[in-house]
Amino acid sequence: METIPAIKFGTSLVRVVLLCLFAMALLVAIAHAQTSEPVMVAIAHPATSEDTIPRSSLRAIFGMRLQKWPAETPVKVFVLRDDTLEHATFSKTVLQVFPHQLRMAWDRQVFSGQGQYPEQVGSTQEMLSRVASTAGAIGYVKASEVGQNVRVLKIR
Amino acid sequence: MCVYSRFARTTSCIALLGMLSLWATAARALDLLGGDFQLHGFASLTLVNTTDNNFFGQSDDQVSKDFREVGVNASWRVTPALQLSAQLLSRVAGEIDNGGVRLDYGLVDWAALSSEDGRGGIRLGRVKTAYGLYNTTRDVPFTRPSIILPQSIYFERTRNLTVSADGAELYFERYGESGMLSASFAYGQPQTDTDAAKVALVGLNRPGSVDSKLAPDLQVMYEGAGSRYRLAFTALRLDLRYRPGYGDVLMAGRFKLTPLIFSAQYNAEAWSLTSEYAFRRTSVDDFGPFFYNGKADGQSYYVQGTYRLAPQWEALVRYDAYYADKDDRDGKDFAAATRLPRFTRFAKDWTVGLRYDVTPQFMLRAEVHRVDGTGFLAAQDNPQPQALRRDWDIFMLQASFRF
Repeated sequence: METIPAIKFGTSLVRVVLLCLFAMALLVAIAHAQTSEPVMVAIAHPATSEDTIPRSSLRAIFGMRLQKWPAETPVKVFVLRDDTLEHATFSKTVLQVFPHQLRMAWDRQVFSGQGQYPEQVGSTQEMLSRVASTAGAIGYVKASEVGQNVRVLKIR
Repeated sequence: MCVYSRFARTTSCIALLGMLSLWATAARALDLLGGDFQLHGFASLTLVNTTDNNFFGQSDDQVSKDFREVGVNASWRVTPALQLSAQLLSRVAGEIDNGGVRLDYGLVDWAALSSEDGRGGIRLGRVKTAYGLYNTTRDVPFTRPSIILPQSIYFERTRNLTVSADGAELYFERYGESGMLSASFAYGQPQTDTDAAKVALVGLNRPGSVDSKLAPDLQVMYEGAGSRYRLAFTALRLDLRYRPGYGDVLMAGRFKLTPLIFSAQYNAEAWSLTSEYAFRRTSVDDFGPFFYNGKADGQSYYVQGTYRLAPQWEALVRYDAYYADKDDRDGKDFAAATRLPRFTRFAKDWTVGLRYDVTPQFMLRAEVHRVDGTGFLAAQDNPQPQALRRDWDIFMLQASFRF
């Protein structure tokens, strides 16, 4: 019978510790989200007919399904490596698709003969120059790094 | 019969001729089209060990290396609306498949309709069969959740019947704010020319052959909230006929198989939950007194959870159940009629697995199965039904590479 208060004390201690841990994790997560996630924007070749695009169409373009702009120009998709912060953030916040889901969707299409992979570029500089110089090109960069020769696509 | 195969042969010939005539210019296209020509492939080697029974070769208390997959594909986007693609596949799978190179798919994809809100078109040639969530890339290790797909729905034994078909597929996709709705309807000739397809239906050492009518295949899928939810329904109909050979004890029998599959998947950032349920109506008629004729409703389902422990590590747990006849789940009636073991009519499989992506191109996997029943085992690897054991375990290690 004497052990009951001890057990009660033990369990409540565990609960308090767990609560503190969760609170800390939450704070860390919030701080993490605030400091490290850049604001990403979709960019396109300057001659593109569109200024705005529905999120669903943007998803279909980066999902390698939609192949042409309304003005019939072929779409050319550029991406960074899957493990870059820019790619992950653009996928999650702009497309609202997890990057590994995007990769699975590409794999499923390429290996069943229904589609192709987007072209991977090595850096933000290369992304900007390729999008600026390729007709129908689409890609993404940090909002702070948008250059003169590309057009920002707003989500409609 | 002739009309069906002629249709199938013509469509696949058109696709192949198209591919071949363009193949010559493919190397040049690589330069000229700046990335519109792509070449990709994969290779895998799997070690299999079982405590009893043979799975992918002689695995019973031994290590079998007879599960190997190699595939190479090429695709060329000629215009935004037109893509040509083909894949060659070689598969060693115990005594079921000897590694001979086959055309896995070879097709012309014409997206005739395309707008901001969706697209629609037709695929002609040898087209992968839409069947549940995983079938179209079932031989590509990176796209599978585990070393082997849940056998209750994606049998290795009968894969040749549902892997791809020669014919045409109409498809339609609609991109909405909440998600994507897609549908496809294929009509084509399933591949029945391999020994594996025949053995799966009529057993070992039969002198006859199997052929199939054109098979319709419908799939409707909804992917909501950026693929967080994926829901699908598939209906397929196979109508197969056996042509007895010289001195055959079997008569000209007929198989009708109608699998219906309901699929659901939920994807969170770190974990996924997937479940599929299949209902298979099977009727076997006119084979004569030396065969198990009759109707049966097969039932299969699995529930699978995967968890990403770290960016390169993923763990899997799955329960997978198969019943050849839902009104004879424990196989007693079958055993009484055939004197074969009753546990050949079901399989209940608990699986745990681990995946490690060493690099984006190189993957290692380990997997353990604890199985009750032998329902999904192939006769080619287990010719003596009396030698089968009901409770058995599988251990597998796989290395795979892609480019």
